[in-house]
Amino acid sequence: MVAHFLRLKLRILGNTFRRSPWQLVVLILGILYGCGVAALGVLGLVALRLVEVDVARTILVIGGSLVVLGFLIVPLVAGVDDTLDPRRFALFGIPNDRLAVGLIAAALLGVPAIVLALVALSTVITWSRTPAATIAGLLSAALIVLTCVLASRVTTSVASLLLSTRRAREGLGVVAVVSLVLIGPAIALIASIDWGSDAVAALGSFADTLGWTPLGAAWAFPADVAARAYGPALLRFLIAGAFAAVLALVWLALVAKMLVTPERAATVKTYGGLGWFDRFRGTPSGAIAARSVTYWIRDPRYRVSLIMIPILPIALFIPLSIVGVDPEPLWLMPLPVMCLFLGWSIHNDVAFDSTAVWQHVASGTPGRADRLGRAAPVILVGVPLILVGSAVSAHFHGDWAVLPSLIGVSTAILFAGIGISSVMSARFPYPAVQPGDSPFQQPQTSGAASALIQLVSFALCGVIAAPAIVLAALGLRLGGDWATWSLVCGVATAVLSLVIGTVWGGRIFERRGPELLAFANRH
Amino acid sequence: MTRPTLADEPFVAGESDADTDTDVLTISGLVKRFEGTVAVDDIDLSVPAGSFYGIVGPNGAGKTTTLSMVTGLLRPDAGRITVHGVDVWAEPDRAKRSIGVLPDQLRLFDRLTGAQLLFYSGTLRGLDSQVVRERSRDLIAAFGLEDAANRLVTDYSAGMTKKVALAAAMIHSPRVLILDEPFESVDPVSAANIIDILQKYVASGGTVVLSSHGMDFIQRVCDSVAIIVAGKVLAAGSMDEVRDGRSLEDRFVELAGGRKAAEGMEWLHTFSD
Repeated sequence: MVAHFLRLKLRILGNTFRRSPWQLVVLILGILYGCGVAALGVLGLVALRLVEVDVARTILVIGGSLVVLGFLIVPLVAGVDDTLDPRRFALFGIPNDRLAVGLIAAALLGVPAIVLALVALSTVITWSRTPAATIAGLLSAALIVLTCVLASRVTTSVASLLLSTRRAREGLGVVAVVSLVLIGPAIALIASIDWGSDAVAALGSFADTLGWTPLGAAWAFPADVAARAYGPALLRFLIAGAFAAVLALVWLALVAKMLVTPERAATVKTYGGLGWFDRFRGTPSGAIAARSVTYWIRDPRYRVSLIMIPILPIALFIPLSIVGVDPEPLWLMPLPVMCLFLGWSIHNDVAFDSTAVWQHVASGTPGRADRLGRAAPVILVGVPLILVGSAVSAHFHGDWAVLPSLIGVSTAILFAGIGISSVMSARFPYPAVQPGDSPFQQPQTSGAASALIQLVSFALCGVIAAPAIVLAALGLRLGGDWATWSLVCGVATAVLSLVIGTVWGGRIFERRGPELLAFANRH
Repeated sequence: MTRPTLADEPFVAGESDADTDTDVLTISGLVKRFEGTVAVDDIDLSVPAGSFYGIVGPNGAGKTTTLSMVTGLLRPDAGRITVHGVDVWAEPDRAKRSIGVLPDQLRLFDRLTGAQLLFYSGTLRGLDSQVVRERSRDLIAAFGLEDAANRLVTDYSAGMTKKVALAAAMIHSPRVLILDEPFESVDPVSAANIIDILQKYVASGGTVVLSSHGMDFIQRVCDSVAIIVAGKVLAAGSMDEVRDGRSLEDRFVELAGGRKAAEGMEWLHTFSD
């Protein structure tokens, strides 16, 4: 039975690598961060082997308690990994206890659990000062992994019992992505604090108290053994063991309860008036623009790109600046990067409609109206972003002379992306996540073609914006009028891209309407 | 059984203006193949203006495929379709203006509210926004969607979704309504209400073409019918001609190959516990 669950989990993990663009971006970032966190953790813990027991204990107990807390809280907020929701196995008639054990075993195979296991095992090295402490460290590592996995399963299940409505899931999923991406910078900041100073002494008593709570007990008892304080060590071990046991009992009870509790029906929200449709002109292009904007706000598949776009440059910026790249030129990077992703993000927009695109085909919607309407949210976000962002970037860069070329390059990249997307989404749609599915779910079919289309449309944005970029680079090197020429060139590129993309893409859309629908029907 | 008359005659524009005698929809020599299998095999049909036309057939007979080609959603491999004298695949934009569509099994933009979806459909059809607002109000009242108009379509039941999609199909007052399985999962009260709306539409000169599995229902509501089996028209014409003195269901089962004797599956006669 346990083997079945493990094989199922391995299959699920394997399938996560067959994904669509944003999912891949998120996944790769996730893996990089996971590796980074694990490496930092392991290195730090190995280094702690050389530090006094007291200091090591303070750091371990506080850090460790945060980890346990994270495993308890993150699923409650995010509702992650419900691929192995006990309810999905309700119809197989598996006895409750065997199901509970199997699901825990499967959870141990997840990325968070593996990272945690690596970190926990490194604490054995931290405590390998005496044979007794080493054994205590091993015990503690096992207890920690078990506690954390149980804790996350329990809170995930509680979350799915309480928050099973569509809207709750969608909102919290987005919160989860943001917080996960920000973990990396946070760790980098914590790592840069000077731990050798008095701060440790002040935190010592706090750590001691934490060590008596279920959160910190499992991390604290090997330290007691290393300090030869066997009484407190035993007590703390019992606290940690009892906590794990309680979690296990709660988990068993939850599995039993969930198997007989159906998912809650959603409470339905009502909306007054026509929303964005009142704010756009009553023409086909206006209606499509209003529909697109509404979708960017309501549909989690779009919301993920909307939220990832400001986070991506931050996620790139912080590691680069910590590594020691000069910050001034670095400030020129975020705005063009955001524009690149923003324009590129609609290159598969038609596939996002799935078969609903029949409405455009059946009404004989003008292709230009369709293309312009779909570009509307990107323009509405992108243009103010360029105006504000270029000023902010120039300010931190320290030289306002770059302002024209920043605007030029960003505008060229944004509208090159829109133009390319207008043609690509009509000519080369590829399977996307279906409406209503989680943005992190994989589309049912995908292939090499989709990766190629993503790459080509990405590269083309750079090629089209190249003249403006080259002129901007000359401006940076040589000064003079080059920056102004970059602005002129960028705006011209933008206008041309928008016009050509809309007209050409519109013609393709009109000609290929039935084929686009047939494509949506196949996937 | 009526044979198509228009197929061999050159069409003269202006000849077929809204009289009830002329055919508002003609299909001739329509063929569609999917990877080797022939889904629609040389279909000819003519639908007179002002008729309530039913298309019946077993699952997989090619009903949806035929209707998709008529509405310009699926490109035919061969054949010609005209709606009100306009070739659907030669002049799609003009033809589509006279057609209202309710497809089966296709999604809607369901993150919009019912009211927004109606507005979207009307505006895509090129209507002025004031007109769309007035018509939306009327349609919402006629289809009994008052309580649902401000909720997201994704939260609707299947029957309600059908109703709002049907309302969206009618908003531009098309000459022909092509409805694929319009009554699937619609409750009997709403169905009666919808039939009422459609009959008034037909009485004022509109034409309804619909497909359905419900024989009784088609027999009761439609004045003309076509039976399609395996991509071919086996019978078409007025209801009385096609029925030939029997019930539509009996005639249909006879044409579709008769009842299959239930053999095999003896294991189903003993139970496992």
